[in-house]
Amino acid sequence: MLGWLDRRLGADSWARSALRKVFPDHWSFLLGEIALFCFVILLATGVFLTLFYRPDAAPVVYEGPYEPLRGQDVSAAYESVLRLSFEVRAGLVMRQIHHWSALVFVAAIVVHMARVFFTGAFRRPREINWLVGMGLLLLALGMGFTGYSLPDDLLSGTGLRIAYSAVVAIPFLGPYVASLAFGGEFPTEGIISRLFVLHVMLFPGIIIGLIAAHLGILWRQKHTQFPGPGRTEQNVIGKPFWPVQLFKSTGLMLLTAAVIAVIGGTIQINPVWEYGPFVPTTVSAPAQPDWYMGWLEGAIRLFPAFEPTILGVTIPSTFIPGIVLPGFFITVLALWPFIEQRVTRDYAEHHLLDYPRDFPVRTGVGVAGIVFAVLLTLAGGNDVLALAFSIPVEAITWFFRIAVLVVPPLLGWLGYRIALELQATDFHPLRRRKGVVLRRNAEGGYDEV
Amino acid sequence: MTPRMKRALLLSVALLVATTPAIAQSESEDPGRDIFIARCASCHGAEGDGTQFGPDLRGVGAASADFQLRTGRMPLAEPGAQTIRKPRAFNDDQIHALVTYVASLGDGPEIPTVDLTDADLSQGSQLFANNCAACHGATANGGAVGENAFAPTLHSSEPLDVAEAMITGPGQMPVFAFDDQESDDIVAYVMYLKDRRAPGGLDIGGVGPVPEGYVAWALAMVILIVIVLFIGKQKSSDGDEH
Amino acid sequence: MNTNRSISVALVVSMLASIGLVGVYIAGGDRAAEGILLGLALGGLGAGIVLWTRLIDIGPETEEREPLETSPEDRMDPIELRPEGITRRSLLVRLLVGAGGALAAALAIPTLSLGPRPGASLFRTSWRAGVRVVGEDGAPIRPLDLPLEGVLTVYPEGAVGSADSQTQLIRVGEDLLELDPDRQEWTVEGVVGYSKICTHAGCPVGLYRAQAHQLLCPCHQSTFDILRGAVPVFGPAARPLPQLPLDVDDEGYLIARGDFPEPVGPSFWNVHSGDDS
Repeated sequence: MLGWLDRRLGADSWARSALRKVFPDHWSFLLGEIALFCFVILLATGVFLTLFYRPDAAPVVYEGPYEPLRGQDVSAAYESVLRLSFEVRAGLVMRQIHHWSALVFVAAIVVHMARVFFTGAFRRPREINWLVGMGLLLLALGMGFTGYSLPDDLLSGTGLRIAYSAVVAIPFLGPYVASLAFGGEFPTEGIISRLFVLHVMLFPGIIIGLIAAHLGILWRQKHTQFPGPGRTEQNVIGKPFWPVQLFKSTGLMLLTAAVIAVIGGTIQINPVWEYGPFVPTTVSAPAQPDWYMGWLEGAIRLFPAFEPTILGVTIPSTFIPGIVLPGFFITVLALWPFIEQRVTRDYAEHHLLDYPRDFPVRTGVGVAGIVFAVLLTLAGGNDVLALAFSIPVEAITWFFRIAVLVVPPLLGWLGYRIALELQATDFHPLRRRKGVVLRRNAEGGYDEV
Repeated sequence: MTPRMKRALLLSVALLVATTPAIAQSESEDPGRDIFIARCASCHGAEGDGTQFGPDLRGVGAASADFQLRTGRMPLAEPGAQTIRKPRAFNDDQIHALVTYVASLGDGPEIPTVDLTDADLSQGSQLFANNCAACHGATANGGAVGENAFAPTLHSSEPLDVAEAMITGPGQMPVFAFDDQESDDIVAYVMYLKDRRAPGGLDIGGVGPVPEGYVAWALAMVILIVIVLFIGKQKSSDGDEH
Repeated sequence: MNTNRSISVALVVSMLASIGLVGVYIAGGDRAAEGILLGLALGGLGAGIVLWTRLIDIGPETEEREPLETSPEDRMDPIELRPEGITRRSLLVRLLVGAGGALAAALAIPTLSLGPRPGASLFRTSWRAGVRVVGEDGAPIRPLDLPLEGVLTVYPEGAVGSADSQTQLIRVGEDLLELDPDRQEWTVEGVVGYSKICTHAGCPVGLYRAQAHQLLCPCHQSTFDILRGAVPVFGPAARPLPQLPLDVDDEGYLIARGDFPEPVGPSFWNVHSGDDS
């Protein structure tokens, strides 16, 4: 078959180098692949869902088998999701696999990004790929948000309302930009079909392009590797693409799909029939977005009622947590490779990775950032925590208000100290000591290698 | 015995016989009041007019007393404790007596009747979404409603509990003036929520995306990272290294 | 179990699960069975392939990294990038850039077709003087239709379900109200009305804490004191819920005296200073 392709595309010479290409063999290098395979699952299940979903906010009367909604006016979009869930064979399992996969998709991106961050894999020449990855992260968030808003249920519709309000909060331009985005004053009938276009056409297209760039750059630059015997900045040591890495990757793809399939078939997610169709005049509690938007939700809940009016311009209390905070976070994260270069004055090429302990400041800052995001995310569920532990929600809110300011610097500093400590003692908690290699030196003594 | 003494004896026996039923009646005439004095008056006042420990009960009606007593909320473990569902402190007869007594203290809502035969589940779900879900949750699993108040889960409730709560507004709950049909519809939906099986599988709390996020991380990501560790450690015969 | 055996088992499990999956589908479908069988089918195949790598006896290999930067001999001559005729004409270059920019702006302008200018829409609702207050069913309401400590979502007559006009009516004991004197006139027999749209992020504030006389927004827990004009007492909302001026008409039904005195819903840049002309 290779010959057949070769006679038409000259594939043989490419294949020879490609199939023999060496990839370092560390488990943490597979985390990004989990994200990639989640995307594949999302595409596959997504196509199925698209064939049944109606991106139409016009009202219809629900006449399906779910009794508590029968006879009610709901949007055609909502009705199509109910029909898919209750009347299409394999519809509900496809929908649930799709949604679980979305949650894991973003989780895997975050874990992968953390690995890249803490090992310094974003350093030259990989700054471009870091930016491409940031783009993928933002688009993944966008896909999730647009996706779970498509069923037009009470919970996700409330999320749209909050997003609209955050945009309105932008000084001067807010109300106009929000009107452009939504097609008028909230609620609008047109928003559902616009989200559909973003979710099914625009964003996936860009994501596919960025993934191609992400993998292409990785292919061109070759993967990084951890330092070790025989490893230098000028080589890559690992297993060849064919058959080892390809087998491992294919196996991982199937296993990722397997895990999500089992969860999708057995654990309920996003039961839109319980929330009911979106109406702008009520909301149920607790009201949270999917987990990856939780940090914004937490920020909005924790930010106090501080709404100054400066020179006639009011800064709504949603502006700082809803617009400024994410803007700042994303900007710093995106520019991190350049910030670090400037600060360390290290503009050299790096193909060998750091262990987190090798750069304690970066590790400390990273830990602080992650802890901050985690605390915000937990704070987004303050009323669920209040219910679960029978603690007044006000107390939980105050706890998190203080915690997000105090704990990240504390744990960041702790991470910094631990990294220094690990450097000094050369103790790796997970690595098995395999013994020490000694080499006779010229003076007759022994050196460790 | 002299005729005079005989007459006096007859008179006193007659008097005794005549008044005994009256005495006996005044003891059992108001058993509710007796129990009230013994168990409730220390907080609610001797005439049910309230003290610093408990509110005025004049006008709360039979519905309120019946709700509080049948669900065990009253009597409280101690003054100021939160009213929560707990085992009843009284038997049916005692509750009936107390309810009658409290109802007699003023004009208040009577115990409603619940008839689910013509209940409209769809109407019920709409009314529930518009009036109840903000506090009790979309699936009636309960919710935090500020400070020390928690709208309880309705999954232990009987139909009459729900109907009574709506018209009496216990604790921080507002009072609702639904008509009988609306009330029956809502009760029917609450019972539906109580008995339903989640169509999607395991109902992880029924409180929305928060537990879903926890599962995605604590279950899916953990399993996947274990898998990745396993795959990364696949040694061929000549061993592996980092 | 040796590797060969493990791989065989995994692949057989996978095959059987796939067949089972088809069978379940044909038999009518069952969500849990579909998920689990799909999981086994995918997982068996995946496990088999991963385990297969144990059979592959290829040790670590080394590949050299070529320098990424092109060697000086192979690099492009800067002259190739800028042939004659371009750099010398800076005016042309500037005009080129200008024309390109203008074209980009012109092509971008249809974005404004996506939505209308907000105008006064954020400053006004459908409430007008004399309009009757109606419930979800469209029927007018008398003050005492609400029980004490009762709540009701109401709309202007003719605009039931209107998102920006939604109003929360609450009836409390008249002696409990502590409103400003001019706002006290806006209540009728203890019935007070506030916009139901939270001034924080716009969620409907449906949660009434009866004993505390507070409206609590379920979204981010902004809490408003009903007795004092719905001023926020906890949470991120900074503006009180606007109060609807209420009155009764000749038949005793509740009517509005006019629109809300401030914009409803979440704040925006000119919420205090903008006028609604």
